[in-house]
Amino acid sequence: MRKQRKISIFWLVILCIIFTVTIFSSFLAPYEPNAMNMNHTYEAPTPTHILGTDQLGRDVLSRLLVGGQVTLLIAIVSVVISSLIGILYGGISGYFGGAVDAVMMRILEALLTIPSLVIVLAFQAILQGNVWSMALIMGATGWFVTARIVRSEFIRLKESEFVQMAIMFRTPIWKIFVGHLLRNIYPAIFIVILFNFAGAIFTEVSLSFLGIGVPPATPSWGTMLNSAQNNLLIGAWWIGLFPGILIFVTILCVQMIGGAFKQGGERSHA
Amino acid sequence: MIAKWLGKRLIMGTLVLIIVSFLSFFILQAAPGNPATAYYGGNAQTLTAAEQERIEKAFGLDKPIIYQYGTWLHEAVQGNLGYSAKEGRPVLTILLERLPNTLQLVGITLFIVALTSIWLGLYAGLNEGTLLDRGLSIFSVASSAVPPFWIGIVLIIVFSVQLGWLPSSGMNDIRGDGGLIDRMRHLVLPVIVLVVSHTGIFARFLQDCVKVENSSYYVQVARANGVAHREIRSAILRNSIIPYLNYVGVTIPSFFGGSIVVESLFGWSGLGQLLVKSVMVKDFPVLMGGILIIGVVVILCLFIIDIIMIVLNPKLKRGAWQ
Repeated sequence: MRKQRKISIFWLVILCIIFTVTIFSSFLAPYEPNAMNMNHTYEAPTPTHILGTDQLGRDVLSRLLVGGQVTLLIAIVSVVISSLIGILYGGISGYFGGAVDAVMMRILEALLTIPSLVIVLAFQAILQGNVWSMALIMGATGWFVTARIVRSEFIRLKESEFVQMAIMFRTPIWKIFVGHLLRNIYPAIFIVILFNFAGAIFTEVSLSFLGIGVPPATPSWGTMLNSAQNNLLIGAWWIGLFPGILIFVTILCVQMIGGAFKQGGERSHA
Repeated sequence: MIAKWLGKRLIMGTLVLIIVSFLSFFILQAAPGNPATAYYGGNAQTLTAAEQERIEKAFGLDKPIIYQYGTWLHEAVQGNLGYSAKEGRPVLTILLERLPNTLQLVGITLFIVALTSIWLGLYAGLNEGTLLDRGLSIFSVASSAVPPFWIGIVLIIVFSVQLGWLPSSGMNDIRGDGGLIDRMRHLVLPVIVLVVSHTGIFARFLQDCVKVENSSYYVQVARANGVAHREIRSAILRNSIIPYLNYVGVTIPSFFGGSIVVESLFGWSGLGQLLVKSVMVKDFPVLMGGILIIGVVVILCLFIIDIIMIVLNPKLKRGAWQ
């Protein structure tokens, strides 16, 4: 138990470091992330460019730091949106039950069978994304699992005495929603949010890698990998390696924290 | 009982298709540009108001949207999905060319993933605390934290560029005369990527189920009575495989999602690559058709999984599931 907690704190610290560094990246970045320097293209890591330069002579470290801002911003905004929609949808469905619940759940099940990447692709084609539209699309299409979990938790809690009592006293519905139900299921929601966050990073990175996500000129971890294939073929491994490692570590942190939370929750239920 | 259950599934499938069709119709509606001007192509400036009205009338664009949707759905059901805006060929023809390639890739992957994950999950779950058990846990977390295309890039570098063993993209060797061996060689890398990025989580899921079953009373009693290991193992597997199949069903959509990225990376001309291309060149009819057909394929996959579950689960067969 204690060891478990220590391990999850370790991952939390790493995640905090990544966040802090990306938040202050504008100050920390040694170079302007979009400044090209054609005299210094494809430079392997040296003391002046710690992580080397890319095909346009841009500093990889600076792009990595600032790119983290874009990737994490998209992930955070989309998760906030998807959580709000998911909590509302799942909450209404679980709280009211009956026919409302049946209809809402059938629709949700239908939505869950469509690959989410396909939905995002479709919307991306119409809106031809910038950073914000991307976050919006991912938020609008990422709430399905959240909704399902909120619903099942609401159903579980609704029968409990303190909620029935609140209903009996004619407490306003929104108060029951927030004060009685949401407040008691936050660990479950927190876990879903963490996994959604990891999923959002994945989606951004995948779409930008394919060239249909964030506009290629904007530095993000995904767009940095966009040309990684060609760069790797000519031996410039540093351009693709570092964004890859950073994505891996970030998602690993999020998953480990989520996993620790999940285990803790299971234990306290038992 | 089974009929009732399958009927429910059929209704569900229809509902999904209606939602998917609505989504894809909506895309065409929301797509930028006016259909009448698009029809005129480069001569759009010479288009008069009267002419535009005539075109709109001819294509039924003056009718309410819901009526247009009805007409479109009517045609779509009959297999007319319109014409590609870039190639001019019927969308259905293009899609049907691509579909077998995607099914090949996803089918083989699913088969390998199922075999390896069931084997790994079962033995890791039965031997708690061993190297395999802990190794699988670490592998599943690590493999789900790496973007699949990243694994793909590394594999291309190692096996195609450095070692020169396997082709890095495409489906056939252009110089050769194709054939099965050649196709297999092109399949190896994309399949490995999809297998590596999915086996971990699948095996992990089964491992957890097996652990729960392994510590349950009926297994303990069977052990105490000296029932053979092999029989206990098969009982555990049979009871864990149902939630596992359920989980596979839930993850099927993400399989097709993953194949989008992998197909694009390896130049595998399947549906996923087609979707990405049509987003890039704004070929909306193809995009719509592609989404629709992926929806159909996913529903069919879920249906097959349902049937496997009925076969494996005697409770469902007897109708005692309610």
